[in-house]
Amino acid sequence: MAQSRADLLEGTLDMLVMRALADEPLHGYALVHRLKLTSGGRLTVPHGSLYPSLHRLENQGVLKADWRLTDSGREAKFYRLTAKGRKRLDADVAQWRELSIAISLILGPA
Amino acid sequence: MSWISRLFRRRSLERDLDKELQFHLDAAAADFVRGGMSRDEAHRRARIELGGLEQVKEDARDARGTRFVEDWWTDTRYALRTMARSPGFTIAAVLTLAIGIGANTAVWSVIDALMRRTLPVDRPEELVAVKRVGVEDGSYILSHPALLNMRAAARGTDIAAMASVFRSYATIDDQPESVLSQLVTGNLFEMLGVRPLAGRLLTPNDDVAPGGGPVVVLTESFWERRFGRSPSVIGRVIRVNGTPVTVIGVAASGFGGLIVGQSVDMFAPVTMQHELKYRMNAASWNASTDRPWVPQMGISWLTLIARVPEAARTAVMTQLSGPFRNYQEQELIGRDSASRADVLRERLELEPISRGFSPLRQSFGDPLRALMVSVALILLIACANLAGLLLARGAARTHEIAVRASLGARSGRLVRQALTESLTLAAIGGLCGLVVAHWSTAALLKLASNGIRAVPLNATLDGRVLLFALAITLGAGLLFGIAPALRVRRVNLYESFKTGGRVVRGGHRLPLGRLLVVGQVALSLLLVVAAGVFVRTFQNLLNIDAGFERETLVTARLDVRATGYDPGRLPGLYDRLLSEARAVPGVRSASLSLGGVAMGLQLISEYVVPGRTLTREQRRAQESYVTPDYFATTGIRLVAGRVFTDRDDANSPKVVVISRTTARRLFGTDSVIGKRFGYSQDALWEVVGLVADVRANSLREDPPSMIFKPLAQEPRQYITSIEVRAVGNTAPAPVISGLRNAIATVDKRLPVRDLVTMEAILERGLTRERMVARLAGAFGLVALLLAAIGLYGVISYSVARRTNEMGVRLALGASPAAIAWVVLREQLRTMAIGLTVGALLWFPVLGLTRRLLYGLSPHDPTVLGVATSLLLAVGLLAGLVPAMRAARIDPIEAIRAQ
Repeated sequence: MAQSRADLLEGTLDMLVMRALADEPLHGYALVHRLKLTSGGRLTVPHGSLYPSLHRLENQGVLKADWRLTDSGREAKFYRLTAKGRKRLDADVAQWRELSIAISLILGPA
Repeated sequence: MSWISRLFRRRSLERDLDKELQFHLDAAAADFVRGGMSRDEAHRRARIELGGLEQVKEDARDARGTRFVEDWWTDTRYALRTMARSPGFTIAAVLTLAIGIGANTAVWSVIDALMRRTLPVDRPEELVAVKRVGVEDGSYILSHPALLNMRAAARGTDIAAMASVFRSYATIDDQPESVLSQLVTGNLFEMLGVRPLAGRLLTPNDDVAPGGGPVVVLTESFWERRFGRSPSVIGRVIRVNGTPVTVIGVAASGFGGLIVGQSVDMFAPVTMQHELKYRMNAASWNASTDRPWVPQMGISWLTLIARVPEAARTAVMTQLSGPFRNYQEQELIGRDSASRADVLRERLELEPISRGFSPLRQSFGDPLRALMVSVALILLIACANLAGLLLARGAARTHEIAVRASLGARSGRLVRQALTESLTLAAIGGLCGLVVAHWSTAALLKLASNGIRAVPLNATLDGRVLLFALAITLGAGLLFGIAPALRVRRVNLYESFKTGGRVVRGGHRLPLGRLLVVGQVALSLLLVVAAGVFVRTFQNLLNIDAGFERETLVTARLDVRATGYDPGRLPGLYDRLLSEARAVPGVRSASLSLGGVAMGLQLISEYVVPGRTLTREQRRAQESYVTPDYFATTGIRLVAGRVFTDRDDANSPKVVVISRTTARRLFGTDSVIGKRFGYSQDALWEVVGLVADVRANSLREDPPSMIFKPLAQEPRQYITSIEVRAVGNTAPAPVISGLRNAIATVDKRLPVRDLVTMEAILERGLTRERMVARLAGAFGLVALLLAAIGLYGVISYSVARRTNEMGVRLALGASPAAIAWVVLREQLRTMAIGLTVGALLWFPVLGLTRRLLYGLSPHDPTVLGVATSLLLAVGLLAGLVPAMRAARIDPIEAIRAQ
């Protein structure tokens, strides 16, 4: 069930990350598990591709990061969605839903 | 965090990244441990899940977006470390580049200042000069009444005028000083949009009437040099050529007149012509040059400048044609029909002069262009040299490259790094090149000067020049860096690890390196041949027979007119000058003349010969008025008849002595003794003597038609030259100083200039050729040196590469001499190809220099032969050391390295 890196377009991953972080701030490791959980186990993002995505979004101002203490007492870098990020997320999701309708129509009934 | 701050906070960002990923690994490992794995196994699984720590870091770094700059910075630091490791190579490379880039920048900045900079005035593209075309090279001069008529006919257009820059003598602090002055119309400054730096400038009110407007305007450079920018000079009265004038102001900074390369010191109104004793560059017809010139229609001495936008030019030319016809009418008076036809052939043209006038531009334009090509060739050779050396060095670093490639460096990254090395080298070379450029610009201008005054060109390192330097630095860096950089990609990992990088092997015999050397040899051949022809040209000119004595003849320029003698006192002055000069110990004879011996004042007139029709070239000749001893003093050879004696005076019949060229042009024969000619049919002189030709204008020009008249028969003439002939074979210094004292004894106010031998005067006239010869010679040497280095480099490398092959040969019984011959043979082959290519380029390229040469063809085979032999010798010499090294190879060591 592990998806290879090439299957997930960069932009799609960004969108999923934003969505996951819209609910609450998480650090990278927790984010992997959150995505797996929310997708019902269908999606295991390769750990390595997550961090480039997080950093990219942080540079673009979509996410904001700060260091906090976890339950276990260690310091971890938590990412949360900014207002700008929320707007971008809404736009991306709308676009994605349009796209997925189009694709479904082209592919025809299952 | 913005891009810039990310760039500068790299280190803390890296720390954060490490910490973040470490947390991830620990958290993942903890989970695995909780799931029952051992600690070691858990950590291993965590690492695998993450997928290669370094890889993830690299991707995260890429996401930072600052990669490009960071990589460039890393590469540059690495390049600097590498260069520091081989200081010899680095210094040689930087030096080569500095010289190449510096020389190119220097030449370009001089060319820019001379050829391309526009005048520092308002809208220079609108300025035109009124030119008379249709006869020979055309001319610019017109008379003052013609100027006024043209102004009246073209009312909407600003028309100003200027005369030639002339040397005057200003008495500022009771001492006469030589000052370069120019007469201009009152509206010139307004028209050009030049503003005053202090005081006021000339206005149309200053040139209303002849003698009116006794004022002068200084240039900033003169104000600074002579008065230290003191404001008290405004309003001060000084005497110029004897006439008091008031200093009214200083012109804006950077304005020195419209003639590029001549730095004017002061400007005066044209109406002061007579008072300031201006008598230069004028053509007169039916007029008296002794009376003020301004009102006379028959004296043409002014160059007209107008502000006419391009669209209006045709209209204005039509407007001016009427007054020009009017002016031509007076030029036709008293001429015969052939002469009339010549005059009527002329018409007016408006010539754009946005870059000003420049005799410098005309005479130095060609040599400078040739110079530009030569320095560009030198830079090309230097780049080829460096490329070859870098290629050879790169081949020796394959091991290092192989290691880095196997560690994951992509080939694009490696190429970028190699290119950065070259560019860093070029950058350092370029910076040093700026220093070289600064110094060599000054040296170049000094070479171009004729020794008495430096060329006043403002060729400093400004923005344009720096941009040029940057461009060629970049170009050079890419040029010599691209081949070694691309070569990096072809490193065979397996091969290089197997041999440990010690033996450089390969099927290809480095053809690129050989190709570069072939190119170098070809270009060097061209430069050496160029050196040869230019040096020969200079020698040819120097050794030409000028028609007069050179080493033993001393002359001095006297400005009698400026001292204010009235014509009645001239004979007395002349007698005293001659007797004092003859009394100087070591002097054999002395004389006075109007125009000196050569390159002095030229008085050109037109003549008629009864019964003959003459073309324009035939009827024009140069006149000089001389004392009887002139020919004996100057050494001009008498061919037939006699020279002047004391009996040829104001009361005896008018006589002349003419030169061979004059005889042939006027009469068509050499037997001219007794024949008569003159300005017109009624005033004829008798030819009493025929002398050999004299190169009176410059050594390069053909001898002009010369006509000599006795000074005694031309009273009221102001001479400009005194000549003395020394006893013996050279003119010793005591003669020169003795003459100076003699003149001072007669009248210490008399300004004396250029008191030197004729040899020195002639050499000054060859400034251009000498500059070209010296520079070409220097470039030839540099080219030889670079070619030698290149040849040495490539052959050494070839020997190093073929060490085991030669070892095998030696082991199989070949003699060391045979091995050495193998090496030399390769060298000869390379040279042969290079020389052939060079010879093919030689014909078209050298043909371009034809105009600069004298006395030999640009395709002179002797020069080509000598250059070829020289290069062959140098090449063989360069190959000698590697050849001997090859002969001494220890076969066992060589084979073992395999």
